[in-house]
Amino acid sequence: MSVVRRRTGCRTLAPKHRMRYRPAMSESNQPDESSARSAPCRAEPLDWPVTCRVGPGLDGAIATETRVSCVDGETASLRYRGVPIEDLAGSVTFEEAAGLLIEDIRLSSPEETKREWRDRVRASRELPPEVEAIVRSLPSDTHPTRLLRAGVSALGCFELAPGDDLAGSQQWSDDRIVGQITALAAAVARHRRGQSPKRTDPTHSLAEGLLTAIQDQTPSSDAVDTLDLCLVVCADQGMDAPTFTSMIVGSCEADPYYNVVAGLSALSGPRVGGAAEAILDAITAVDDEDDARRWVRQALSNGHPIPGFGHRVYRSIDPRVAILRERAHTFATHAYAPRVSEADPTATSGVSGEALLQIARAVEDEATQQLAPKGIHANVNIYASVLFHMLGAEPELVPCLIAAGRVAGLVARVREYLGQNRIFRPVSHYVGPAERPFTPPEER
Amino acid sequence: MIGRGTKVTTQTIGRGLEGLVAGESQISRIDGTKGRLRYRGYAIEDLAAYVSFEEVSYLILRGELPDRDALDEWKRKLVHWRRAPRPAIDVLKSLPKHAHPLAQFRTAMSIAACHIPEAGDTSESAEWRRPARILAWTSDLAAASIRHIRGEKPVAPRDDLGNAAHILWQALGREPDPDDTRAFETCLIVHAEHGLHAAALAALTVASTGADLGGAVLAGMGALSGMLHGGASQTAYEMLRQLDSPADAREWARRKLEEGHRFAGFGHRVYKTHDPRVRLLEPYAERLLERSGRSQRWDVFRALRDEVEGALGGKGIYLNVDGITGLIYEPLGLPVESFSIPFCLAIQTGWMAHCLEYMPDGRVIEPASVYVSSD
Repeated sequence: MSVVRRRTGCRTLAPKHRMRYRPAMSESNQPDESSARSAPCRAEPLDWPVTCRVGPGLDGAIATETRVSCVDGETASLRYRGVPIEDLAGSVTFEEAAGLLIEDIRLSSPEETKREWRDRVRASRELPPEVEAIVRSLPSDTHPTRLLRAGVSALGCFELAPGDDLAGSQQWSDDRIVGQITALAAAVARHRRGQSPKRTDPTHSLAEGLLTAIQDQTPSSDAVDTLDLCLVVCADQGMDAPTFTSMIVGSCEADPYYNVVAGLSALSGPRVGGAAEAILDAITAVDDEDDARRWVRQALSNGHPIPGFGHRVYRSIDPRVAILRERAHTFATHAYAPRVSEADPTATSGVSGEALLQIARAVEDEATQQLAPKGIHANVNIYASVLFHMLGAEPELVPCLIAAGRVAGLVARVREYLGQNRIFRPVSHYVGPAERPFTPPEER
Repeated sequence: MIGRGTKVTTQTIGRGLEGLVAGESQISRIDGTKGRLRYRGYAIEDLAAYVSFEEVSYLILRGELPDRDALDEWKRKLVHWRRAPRPAIDVLKSLPKHAHPLAQFRTAMSIAACHIPEAGDTSESAEWRRPARILAWTSDLAAASIRHIRGEKPVAPRDDLGNAAHILWQALGREPDPDDTRAFETCLIVHAEHGLHAAALAALTVASTGADLGGAVLAGMGALSGMLHGGASQTAYEMLRQLDSPADAREWARRKLEEGHRFAGFGHRVYKTHDPRVRLLEPYAERLLERSGRSQRWDVFRALRDEVEGALGGKGIYLNVDGITGLIYEPLGLPVESFSIPFCLAIQTGWMAHCLEYMPDGRVIEPASVYVSSD
């Protein structure tokens, strides 16, 4: 499979992509909103009940307090457990970031604690053979997020031992999924390409294991480092729709695999994780920068949102965009290009990493010119998807890789909420018909 | 519509979003003070007395009771989709026997979702095609999952039974008599919709991202699988099963009341009086238990209920629908550990209606969280 797509000369998105990702709000000027709003950070716990201003989509409705991460739209800052994202991205591995989010394991934590965590998430990657077989029994052209979801669901069935009490969720170790999902994403990537299953080397980091499966070769250390950076940046998005979905399911005391299954259903949505795939589809479908600018103008003039733009909280700069863009620049020349010929290992397909980046920059530039006055800026999806592509992922696989990162924040937040659980149960205001008498079918 | 428009309101919210008016809806009206429930304006009592689940599901989804032609067409669609993809049923065989029935059902549903021809099409017209397929496929998968618990092979669907009878036929492997069918159908009807409970909110949140309706139902099912939600009917039934006699029940209840115990199947976030669904199910539960020679259990139930409501009714705590559903499911022959599955087959109707109501222009659902510094 060509990873960086061969230029086909098509000028706009292929129709199938447009149909698949027809945004539910195409007529509105609100593009995808890929992260949750968060009220300003504060030192004092809340005094419930709280009074807040609530807008459409439960915007502003305070659902919980958190110590996991702070998304501050005012100062355009993001911190995991108090640590600025700039200090994490490029400096720590994904498994370290996951440990920070889930268990509050810091760089300053005892070596033994850090090692135990690392060993635990790495060891969880060994999947039951039945689960791998189930994934492989599915049509390989199924959307990868569905394959991944089916895999997570099946895996959850194997996590209980015979005789375990089914009532309650304490038997399940909720953090095993962090390693497992990278193994499942790897299995999904290989199944899609018709490649045979590949056992993950247990000494590899999560990023290295996943990348080895995707590239089907030993990845460069630059590439592993870049995947780590992407996963770290994707690891928590505040309480966005997938995370909130998981929290709702978790609040009912479902098993943790169900929390993830539900979160993945939301993540697949075109206005969330699906947006990363959609923007990469667009970027890989256009010929050059001019073509890219034309595509943006045309989409906007037709009232379509540009995937990868817009954010609930960050009204100006999303701090992650700069991090990812910068990495895309330094990594572009090392971008993975798959061999097209076994005979000639140097023969590659597709556009170069640099060309891809130029197109992405043109899209960002053109869209920013038009959308910035409305307070709509690039979000994490555009350069994350470009980087994932440079690492060897086709557009459809991108949401699975985002999911692999996001699971860390999701587990952290569900676990935190369960510490003082109260089932989510708002009400709605009835505006339907007044009471009416029953009428038999012949009188309707 | 929830999330629609630009209206901003000032609201006071408790933990778990308690008291939050998430928006407007035309689907059901729950009056928690008077203990009344209406779907699209029709009293639940009338629907339980006169109509089929097919008519109720059409009403909830479309907003009106169907006329003859519309009902025939809707029934035809439901029958048309009765055969779920075979791999989704076959997968049950490769899952461990000790896995939770709901985890197995979830996996069957996740596999089925990989075999939908128009899977990626989440346009509005495609979403409207989905409810019939989801209602019918999940019934096939539910029946297979329920049989799998007992080590029984799936029963092939047939076209000549109504929805309620067909679910029982497939799950139990024998054609139900009219009494059983009506008891089960009444359960399906009173369970078909109940506002923005946690499962509906989970489904709606998924749908708000533009994901497909099947993914939304899967998330709702996840919430329902939780022991605090759909699992409550199982817990409530297991509690009753441990009590031998009405005297035993009274004594146990008094002791537990003193300890401040929270009784499964009692109390509701919205109803602060008698749950109207309970009243509709009572006669069926009593009759089914009597017929299966277990009137004693009915007496135990009454004793426990009198004792708990007598003590806690003043605080607005009454028996809820989870407290009685098991008294119908169990004598029908449905396994206790799978009680959430038939419940899901009904209530997914309401989830889908909420999603379809929200979808045209609803915003992505993302409430706020407040960061509290750990220092």
